[in-house]
Amino acid sequence: MADIPLLELKGITKRFPGVIANDHVDFELVKGEVHALLGENGAGKSTLMNILYGLYHPDEGEVRLDGKRVRIDSPRAAIDLGIGMVHQHFMLIPVMTVAENIVLGVEPHSGPFLNIDAAEKRVRDLSERFGLAVRPEALIESISVGMQQRVEILKALYRGAEILILDEPTAVLTPQEAEELFEIIRSLQAEGKSIVFITHKLGEVLAIADRVTVLRRGKTIETVPREGATEEGLARLMVGREVLLRVDKTPAQPGDPLLTVEDLRVFDERHLEAVRGVSLEVRAGEIVGIAGVDGNGQSELVEAITGLRRPESGRVVAVGEDITNEGARDSLEAGVGHIPEDRQRRGLVLDFTLAENIALKDYCEEPDSKWGWLYPKRLVARAKRLLTEFDVRGGGPQTLAASLSGGNQQKVVVAREVSRDPRILVAAQPTRGLDVGAIEFVHRRLVAERDEGRAILLVSFELDEILSLSDRILVMYEGRVVGEYSPDVSEEELGIAMTGGGREVAA
Amino acid sequence: MSVAEASQTPLDRLRRLGEARSLAIIGIWLGVLAVWLSVPPFTIRALVVPAAAAVLGASLGLWALTRGERKLGWWAIGVALLAILVALWFQSEESAELESVFSIGLLAATFRFAAPLAFAAMGGIFSERSGVVNIGLEGMMLAGAFFGIVVVAETGQWELGLLGAMAAGAVLALIHAFFSIHLRADQIISGFAINFLALGVTGYLFRSIYGTRGTPELEERIPNVHLPLIEDIPFFGDLFGNLNLMIWLMFAVVLTSFIVLFKTPIGLRIRSVGEHPKAADTVGISVFKVRYAAVILSGVLAALGGAYLSFGTGNAFNENMTAGRGFIALAAVIFGNWRPFGAFGACLLFGFSSALALRLQGSPLLPSDLASANLLSTLPYVLTLVVLVGVIGRSRGPAAAGRPYVKQ
Amino acid sequence: MSDGPAAVTPVPPPPEPEGGGSVSGLQAFYDRAGGLLVPVAAAFLAFLIGGIVVLVTEKSLTAPFEAYKAIFEGTGVTWFIPGVGDTAEEARDLQQTLLITTPLILTALAVAFAFRCGMFNIGGQGQYWVGLLTGIWFGTHFDGAPMALHITLTVVAALLAGALWGGIAGALKATTGAHEVISTIMLNWIAIWVGKWLLEAPDGYLQGTDPSLPRSNDVLDSAKLSEVWNWGGLQPLHAGIFIALFAVLVYHLLLNRTTLGYEVRAVGFNPDAAAYGGISVKKNYFLALAISGGFAGLAGAIDLLGWKYRLTSTEFDANLLGFVGIAVALLGRNKAVGILFAAFLFGALDVGTSPRQLDPEVFNPELATNLATMIQALIIAFVGAEFLILYLWRARKRVGWAGPRRVEPELKP
Repeated sequence: MADIPLLELKGITKRFPGVIANDHVDFELVKGEVHALLGENGAGKSTLMNILYGLYHPDEGEVRLDGKRVRIDSPRAAIDLGIGMVHQHFMLIPVMTVAENIVLGVEPHSGPFLNIDAAEKRVRDLSERFGLAVRPEALIESISVGMQQRVEILKALYRGAEILILDEPTAVLTPQEAEELFEIIRSLQAEGKSIVFITHKLGEVLAIADRVTVLRRGKTIETVPREGATEEGLARLMVGREVLLRVDKTPAQPGDPLLTVEDLRVFDERHLEAVRGVSLEVRAGEIVGIAGVDGNGQSELVEAITGLRRPESGRVVAVGEDITNEGARDSLEAGVGHIPEDRQRRGLVLDFTLAENIALKDYCEEPDSKWGWLYPKRLVARAKRLLTEFDVRGGGPQTLAASLSGGNQQKVVVAREVSRDPRILVAAQPTRGLDVGAIEFVHRRLVAERDEGRAILLVSFELDEILSLSDRILVMYEGRVVGEYSPDVSEEELGIAMTGGGREVAA
Repeated sequence: MSVAEASQTPLDRLRRLGEARSLAIIGIWLGVLAVWLSVPPFTIRALVVPAAAAVLGASLGLWALTRGERKLGWWAIGVALLAILVALWFQSEESAELESVFSIGLLAATFRFAAPLAFAAMGGIFSERSGVVNIGLEGMMLAGAFFGIVVVAETGQWELGLLGAMAAGAVLALIHAFFSIHLRADQIISGFAINFLALGVTGYLFRSIYGTRGTPELEERIPNVHLPLIEDIPFFGDLFGNLNLMIWLMFAVVLTSFIVLFKTPIGLRIRSVGEHPKAADTVGISVFKVRYAAVILSGVLAALGGAYLSFGTGNAFNENMTAGRGFIALAAVIFGNWRPFGAFGACLLFGFSSALALRLQGSPLLPSDLASANLLSTLPYVLTLVVLVGVIGRSRGPAAAGRPYVKQ
Repeated sequence: MSDGPAAVTPVPPPPEPEGGGSVSGLQAFYDRAGGLLVPVAAAFLAFLIGGIVVLVTEKSLTAPFEAYKAIFEGTGVTWFIPGVGDTAEEARDLQQTLLITTPLILTALAVAFAFRCGMFNIGGQGQYWVGLLTGIWFGTHFDGAPMALHITLTVVAALLAGALWGGIAGALKATTGAHEVISTIMLNWIAIWVGKWLLEAPDGYLQGTDPSLPRSNDVLDSAKLSEVWNWGGLQPLHAGIFIALFAVLVYHLLLNRTTLGYEVRAVGFNPDAAAYGGISVKKNYFLALAISGGFAGLAGAIDLLGWKYRLTSTEFDANLLGFVGIAVALLGRNKAVGILFAAFLFGALDVGTSPRQLDPEVFNPELATNLATMIQALIIAFVGAEFLILYLWRARKRVGWAGPRRVEPELKP
């Protein structure tokens, strides 16, 4: 491996209002290496790479390519310099074809007309060359997430990328798909491409990276070679203290079944069957985890249970009450609490004050209101109490929810849901986008609620989270529960089930 | 559930639904045909013919219903029922009376009424496909109508008038673009402000220039195109032999819009910006430039529609003369699923309703209260409402329409 | 940042600890400052541009000042300043201004209430007409009914008719997703043409006793609102202004102190979160537009019973109160007090530019009316854009999210 760095980032500083996302960050990439950029959520990894890709402009610092200082003020400039990026949220247009997405912006044309045949041929050639099988004429929305990721990689290669930035590429993949991705990365490396691999997962770093640069709170902590690195050591660098890799909890003491779902079928917005006959049961005092890759019907299942989506057929019974077709109000009145997967879209009204948000489910009942008349002071008083109890920082009852950080917003959601004393708690992706401190808070709280005797249904795409919290694990694949496991199951076995290779549930 | 069915992919199911959908659509057309058969020139007097067509349409609708295509299925059934009622009613009317309403003139009038809508609708498609909602079409039409006629009155040349109209539409569109793209204003509010602004500006200048006399007698208007060869063909010639230039231009604009949007790199980029601006941005497409261009083009096209109103089919400007046509064009865009031919079809439908309303005024076919010009004037608006209700839920617009793009 | 769940923010949580007070304090400051500065700046800019238009078209440097001065003097606002002009004349002018302010308050509420539910009600005009037409029927019937009863009956009927007209758009949105902007505009035109049909010969159902005139009879005396301020001149100020003021109070309390208002605001800010909280989004779409329509219908009724007494069909082409209400609501930032001030401003502008008040020697009133429309349009545009500028201030703290939209801009389901 050559010693002259292909790419150097020096003293990069990027300030957002109120925050320094990157604080004099240094980073270098050697030709042909796979370099992991490690850090927890919010450490500034994506910001740094967005700067490299010309999406953000740094306030200070410089970028050098082949030793020459370059100015990257737009993605166009980055592309021209041979930099390609696969974003965490894919930059693909769902209603267009694979080929259209790949050639967008550099379209082959004959005269003024788009030459789509030429585009498809070029895509086919490229995909054969790099061993990335895709169907050029398929619509993006009809192909799997793993396939979409290949399209993203091809998009970068089509533009002649020599440096490839992969932002949290495994977040949406099963372990097996991740392994395939690693194969692709290795073959790209063999072709002489240099790769920046952004992640917060320690195992991946050790599996694929040649070197690791750790970011924490916007600062470069250290760059270390893979040789000699351990998960524990990296974790300490990443978080800045010892981390408990598993949650402390006692064995579950399951009681009566509180939530029963029978043969539930649910359609999504496009009228496709997203949930295809799911049956499950959650008992008091246990956490049932639903594992699976995003988009296998988990969201629709949760929405059906919480009354936000009308199921096509089947039954949902909460605490003995049939709430199948009853809507959100009946669901929550039957004792179902819900931490939604997207706190900003669903869980909070960002333009409401915290007091108003905390009242989101109780505003129409005493003491918040009577005969339709609202008592704002009572809302504020309750909010004040809960904000203290749940250690929400950054604002009081009259603060707008929008002005809180993600972790504190999530605490507000948890505070509201838990304080309503639900018998059943449905937690969908409860730690998405949170930093370690907030994750620990949420995890501890979920276990505590379990010990209070609540029935908890946990949906998460993070296998670690499922494995460390659940008392039973169900795997969802293509709208069905394809397996039930105890929490001591191996990641590999879960991974196989998540791609549809698992054993069928007997029931 | 059989094994075969169980193994269906979501795509297969979508395809199956597509079949039911097309059946329902055929059903609807059969219903329309049933009505058509009972009016001139066919005027089929045996009830059985239209009735058969209607029944067939209804049964297709019913079939679609059972296959999960609820909305369109009900539409097919509704149209079929309506068709039978209309056929029954027409059976009892005199042929001559029917002919006074349903003639070639009705179709020609349909084109005349559809043309301004079609120009505006094509503009709306470009703007919305690029992600900018443009409810200011109405105002841009009005500006085109006024400034076009001012130029014609000054210069006596309709060609310059068209240019003047296009310039006026472009300026208003530029304002809308600036507010909604750069200032990230709410696009609906900005569009509404454009409408109100156009109302005020045209009204002000109209009074300021022409006082209470109104626009002067025009020496030149947009000419008709005589096609001597075609003119002699019966029926066809009556319809196409002597159409206004703007109607031919309308056909050209619709066709060109389709080609540009779906067959060229430019169209791909416009659509990508409207669907997922950030994706477009990350491959180096300037979201702002594309949006500005599309919005300005929409203003130019809408203004052409307005120009046709004031010195194409008409010969004067009146305050607020567009009378909601910009909004009807928007409904056509939605009805046409943001596609040029679909929207054009909707414009023809709305144009037809206006033409029909005009012909039915004072017609013995209706009771005298209902034959009133005032009441019949509501027809296009009512139809727009009905169509809007019927279509929504199935049409999917550009994903990013209405949302300002925030560049980092 | 327009796409995807951008919850995974690239930014670490703010390096606290910052007492809750300071952030919210700052927020409140921007709210307060923005709440006053933005409308004032928007109005100033709009009048400035209007002045430039006058300058260019009249080709005289002093023309804008003379025009604005003449308009201002016609508004009667100087009545509040003692010893400036002829008090009696000023009072008559002010009386006119308040007469127009009254319905404007209500048409603005019709816009504002829907706005708070995330909808743009451009149908205030149609709802106003439907209310007024209904008022004509009730006002010209029931001869001999006691005054209080007759007025109440007529006003309530008009309110309900307006609510029905708004409610149609609301129901369409709730059940089929039809966008309210298009449907309310269509309903406006339907109301106008049906109104003309009702008033015009032959045999309009609401046409008056003279078949040669396209207008209704006067409402009966028992349906007329009593006058509360009469300095002479054409129309005295009527009790309707108290109804309008009361409606503002109702608006404020309904929105901020009831569960209905809570639901409406939640839906307006974030329909997904509202649904999650167990609130029926559809019900609120319907109710909000119906209540909006009720306000506009009320405007029609009190205009009729207060001073118009009858309707001539040519008025359909001249009256823009429903649309001006949009400018009023936006300028007043959908707040009760703001609406009062904005309505007064536009009422004054309307009266100042009316042919009756404006000396044609100084500035042609027909121009002036259109100038007023232009100024209103510009105010809408500027306030609309300023909304966003303020949001950008807030967005600094809401990293990773594009900000709430007061109105769902998509013209699609």
